This record gives sequence, structure tokens and C-alpha cells, in this order.
Amino acid sequence: MFRNVLSSQSRRNTARIYLQCYRFAQTEASGSFAFDNSPILHVVKCKMDQRAQVEAQITDDMTQADTKRLMKALSETEQLSVAWKKWVETRQCLRDTDALLHDPDPSMRSMAEEEHTSLTSQLSDLVNTTFPHLLVPPSTTSHLSAMMELKAGVGGSESALFLSELMRMYLRLAQSKGWKASVIASNETENGGVKDSIMEIQGECAYDMLKWESGVHRVQRVPATESSGRVHTSTVAIVVLPLAEEDPRASEGDDELFKMDDVRIEVMRSRGAGGQHVNKTESAVRLTHVPTGITVSMQDERSQHQNKRRAFQVLRARLMDRKLSQQVVDRRDARRNLVRSADRSEKIRTYNFAQDRVTDHRIGLSLKNLESVLEGDALQDILDALAEKHRDDLLQDALEAPPLS
Amino acid sequence: MPRCDPKHLLNTLSIVLGNEAAKQELKWMQQAIHPKSVTLQDMVARRVRGEPLQYILGTQPFGPLTLFTRPPVLIPRPETEHWSLTLADRLRPSPQKPISLLDLCTGSACIPLLLCHLSPPGSINACGVDISQDAISLARDNAAHCRIPLPEESSTPSTAESPLRNTFLPLLADIRSPDFLNSASLRRRLPFDVITSNPPYIPRADYDRLSPSVKDYEDIRALLGDPDPEIPSNNGLTFYHDIAKLLPDLLADDGLVAVEVGEGQAADVRWIFEQEGGLVDTEIWTDPWEKERVVLGHKKPQGSSKA
Repeated sequence: MFRNVLSSQSRRNTARIYLQCYRFAQTEASGSFAFDNSPILHVVKCKMDQRAQVEAQITDDMTQADTKRLMKALSETEQLSVAWKKWVETRQCLRDTDALLHDPDPSMRSMAEEEHTSLTSQLSDLVNTTFPHLLVPPSTTSHLSAMMELKAGVGGSESALFLSELMRMYLRLAQSKGWKASVIASNETENGGVKDSIMEIQGECAYDMLKWESGVHRVQRVPATESSGRVHTSTVAIVVLPLAEEDPRASEGDDELFKMDDVRIEVMRSRGAGGQHVNKTESAVRLTHVPTGITVSMQDERSQHQNKRRAFQVLRARLMDRKLSQQVVDRRDARRNLVRSADRSEKIRTYNFAQDRVTDHRIGLSLKNLESVLEGDALQDILDALAEKHRDDLLQDALEAPPLS
Repeated sequence: MPRCDPKHLLNTLSIVLGNEAAKQELKWMQQAIHPKSVTLQDMVARRVRGEPLQYILGTQPFGPLTLFTRPPVLIPRPETEHWSLTLADRLRPSPQKPISLLDLCTGSACIPLLLCHLSPPGSINACGVDISQDAISLARDNAAHCRIPLPEESSTPSTAESPLRNTFLPLLADIRSPDFLNSASLRRRLPFDVITSNPPYIPRADYDRLSPSVKDYEDIRALLGDPDPEIPSNNGLTFYHDIAKLLPDLLADDGLVAVEVGEGQAADVRWIFEQEGGLVDTEIWTDPWEKERVVLGHKKPQGSSKA
């Protein structure tokens, strides 16, 4: 339902594709049909041509490694190939039916009309649902949980108050999604606000859904503490990090993301003689990942071990985040909107209390009823819209990918 | 009207603990407030009087475990947590090669329970000895809480189907008594592959200057290194001499000893273990605060000449 709010950039892209497709359609045989102009068919056809070439390469005297490589390439387009065959068959049936639409026999004509409607709807499904679904690569991060780092920005204590409201919003959303959410660090201010916090949200697709929350959230309202009734603008910066399932035995060992030797572990305070002499709780820990300079301090837990575990979790999430961002950049050669929306200093959303409105600036979506966003329900709508835009972008990507390269 | 709003409580705590520690501790108290008889206000009042946070909260995390804490039994320290985790990594016993472990002056049983918890089922049979009845009953409660069962008595035949488990046996005994080795429960478990201990090691002069939250609340028998009134100063090392003397009877050939020591005691304890206990390949481990904290040693393997 939010398809109409695609950015102008992506509308331009769509237009370009339609143009390419139009040229393609000109080269096809006549007797054409509305679907035949769909750009997606061109892409699927190209992929099928590639597939045919791969199939032609397989011979009996190939090495096992080569066969395996080719079979793997084939298996990637297997489902698409099945759908394509269905398309070709159905399209042919439609052509055959077309001829009967003008049959002199009225009963034959009526049968043909029924048949025509049914075939058209099947073709429409293939073009609008099946092909897009098969062309967009499945998410490689759907199994990841999320870690959210929230930091109060401009606006002082008002910003800290808003941060605590955002935390509550995410906890509510997590509850309704059946995710397990916990606050693993929070630095509270004296008037009930939170200066910064880290939340862990565990559950299927938690990262994929929440990653759109990365960026600057802006609140516009009259702060409770403001006597003159003036509207203030404050901000909260959020970074959503991917959180891999923790392997309890590997928590201290090397990891695919870092080498233990590269991590400096420091305890924060002196304990005097320590040991039996002192029973103060001194559990603060700081990690430094030397190659990247990332540091993580953790003091919210009551033991060294727990703080260290938490700190490693955060470090791992930050390194994983770097890795994923790098993959996105590599894959898309720093092209257009997705990379740009990953910029964390960008203002992504405004919560305007005076107008009872929440606007997501990336998709130009404005929702009335701010309360419902903060309660988590309408936040879900925003996240759905963002996810849909992402799917559209990925499809655009697949359609734009240069064929046979 | 009693002042019980969190802000006031925070201010009260801050005066004693400083602002940052007060914020943390108040949060932990709020999280621990489940037993309905306790109010946040009472907790803060106790803390302000100097009672250790761990007794007020009733628990202390120790590695992945949560242990009960009850006065006057010694509260598990972060240094002990650190070296126990390191030791677990070093020992790595297996059900194919299970080990027996004796923890002297076991207190809350934090060391043997952590080792049992971190080792695969059926790889450790541990025993913890303490002179204090309070410690032994706390050790028993902690073992139950950590789901580490008592060993099955030899009268019950162990069947092939009985699941593999690590076990922990708390024993009330005085390791300094001449009868210690004659205790039947201990006798039939001799010798042990590993001996661990965090014995009292604070010298008398230090003890007199300890913070009230330690001295007024935790058992002097868990802290004071030289308990004999007639030998008031032995640098806090009395228990290490006693443990060294027990080693020939307690420790299996090739066995390992690991003991926690106080600030500045590591070199002396290493000397005591080598000279009086006949240990070889001794090591000293440093804690995260860069104090020498643990002394380890091995019994000479069988066949070597006796000391």
C-alpha cells in the first residue's frame, strides 16, 4: 500500500527499465500481450539463456570439480527455470485461446473467454509475484538477532527523556513480535531520562526488521520542563547491529570476526590489595579491538565475567556490522539509495507531537496518530513499508544487473 | 514521612559510595527486589550502614553461575572468579579421564561448583571442606542451586544407565586438626588429582585495618591468615604451611595444586610449596589487576626420588 511513495530516484530507475524493455519488445514477434512488455520477463529470459549455456557446457568427460561447479550454478536457477517453463506453456495456451475468442460458435467463444480469464490471471501471478520473489535473493541475515545502541543527541535532558520513550517503543514492538528483548546497559539521568543504552532483541528476523531504525530520530515538542511553551527539537541517534547466536564455548576464543590476540582487555579500577581484602563490586571491563580501534566499555553487570561476555557481544556485533556494510558496498559498488540510507548521521524520522504526526523521511511516509507509533503498532507499519521499499530496490537491482556479464 | 523516592535513596547512597557506584548499586537492588519482605529503602539503609552489597542482594554471579551469599560466609571475589575460569580451561577433564578434586576452605563452594559446571558431565568428582557450619550449609544450598548433586554412595550400585554427572560433597572439618586425615568420608576418597584452595591469607596487621564492610560482616575464619593467638604474625602464611604438610597424603602422583594468595605472598607460597610440599613445576598467575594471585604446583610423578 506504500508503493506509491517510492523515492523519485527509484521512479527514474523504473522509467529507464521500462524504456529498455520497450526496445526489447519491439524486437519480439507480433501478437503481443500486455505482460510481454514486463521488464522482469526480459531478465528471466536472459537468466534462462545463461542457464541453457551452462547446461550445454556439461559433458561426460568433465572433471568432478567442474561438474560440481556447473551443477551448483544450475541449482541456483532451478526454481526460476520451473516457473519459466510454466510461463512459456501458459503463454502458449493463451495464444491458442486467443484464436478461439472469435470463433463463430457462441459456446466455444464463451469457453474461450473463461479460459482466457483464468490463463491471464495465472500469467499475472507469475509476473507480479513468482518471478519477483525468485529474482530477489533471500536475506542472508534473517537468522540474526539485533543489538540496538541508542544515544541522546542534541536537546540535553529532553533528548534523554525521548530516548527512554523510544526504548519503551522497541520493547513494546518486541513483545508483540514475540521477540525476547532486554536492556543490557543503560545510563540513566536523574529525571527519568536515559543518556545512552544498549538493547538486545533476540528473535527470528529481528535484525532484518529493525536495521531500518539506524539513523537520527528527531522529536519536536514542548518539553515537560519548558515553561514558556516553546517547541524544542531534540534528537536520538540509533545504531542497529547484527547479533549472531552466541556460542558459549567460543566466547573467549578466536572468532571469524576477530583474533583474540587483537583484543586488549582492561579492568577499569584499582582494587588496592584486592582478593579477600576487598569486597567491593568492581566489575567494569573495557575491550579494545586494536586493528579497528573499536572500544567497548561495560559496567552494568555485577561480575567481571558477565561484563566481559557482554562487551564481547557488543564488539562482535560491531565487527559483524562493519563486515555486512562492507559486503553491501562491495556488491553494489557504492551505488545509490541503499548505501546512502545506511549512513547513520542521516535524519531518518521525525516525531512531531504538536501535529500528532510521525514522518519517515526515507520513504516520505507520514502517519497520523503518533501515540500508536510509540505503542509499537504503527511502528510495525513503518517497518513493513521500509522492508517493502527494500524488496523493490533489490528487484530493481536484479532487473538492472547487466545480463551475461 | 519516610523518604523512599528513588532520587532521595540515590542521594543517600551517593554520599557513601560516590555517584556512579550508587547509580549502579541502586539499579541492582531494584532488580533484586523480588522477595516481598524487602524494600528498596531497607536495602539502601543496610548498604549505608556498610553491609556488603552481595549480602543485601543475597546473590553474586560467579562465572556463568549465580551463587547465594549469606553472612558471614566469604563473598566470592572477582579475582577468584578469574582464576577459577582460567583453571577450568587448563584442566579440561573428560568422562573418559575423570578427575577428583578437593577444595580446602571452600566457603560458598564457588571454586569447585564453577569447575563442576564448566566441565563435561561425569568428568569431576569434587569435595569441599570448611571449618564453618554456615559455610557448609551455604555450599550445600549452592550445589543444589547449580544442580550439582552429591556423589552416590558406594552402597548404591551404579548401573550402566545412570547418567553421567559431576558431583560435589561438602564436608565439615578442620584442615588444621591432627584428625583431619582420619575422617572416614575423606579417607576413602584419597588421593585427589587436583587440590584447590582460597585459604584465609590476610596478615593480622592488615586485618586490623580492613574496611568495616569486610571485617564487620565476613567471617574472620575465612580471612585471617594466622589464626593462632600464640603465633600472631606469620605473614598470613599459616595455612599454606599446613596445606604443604598435607600434600603427601592428599595429592595423587602427578596431581596439581592451585591456591589463591594475598598481595605480595606469591613468592613465599611458591617457596613453601617447593620446600615443604615437594612440589615441582610451580607457576604464579597474575590477576586482571596485575597482582600475583595464584600459585600452582605439581607433585613429582611416580618413580622420582622423595623429598
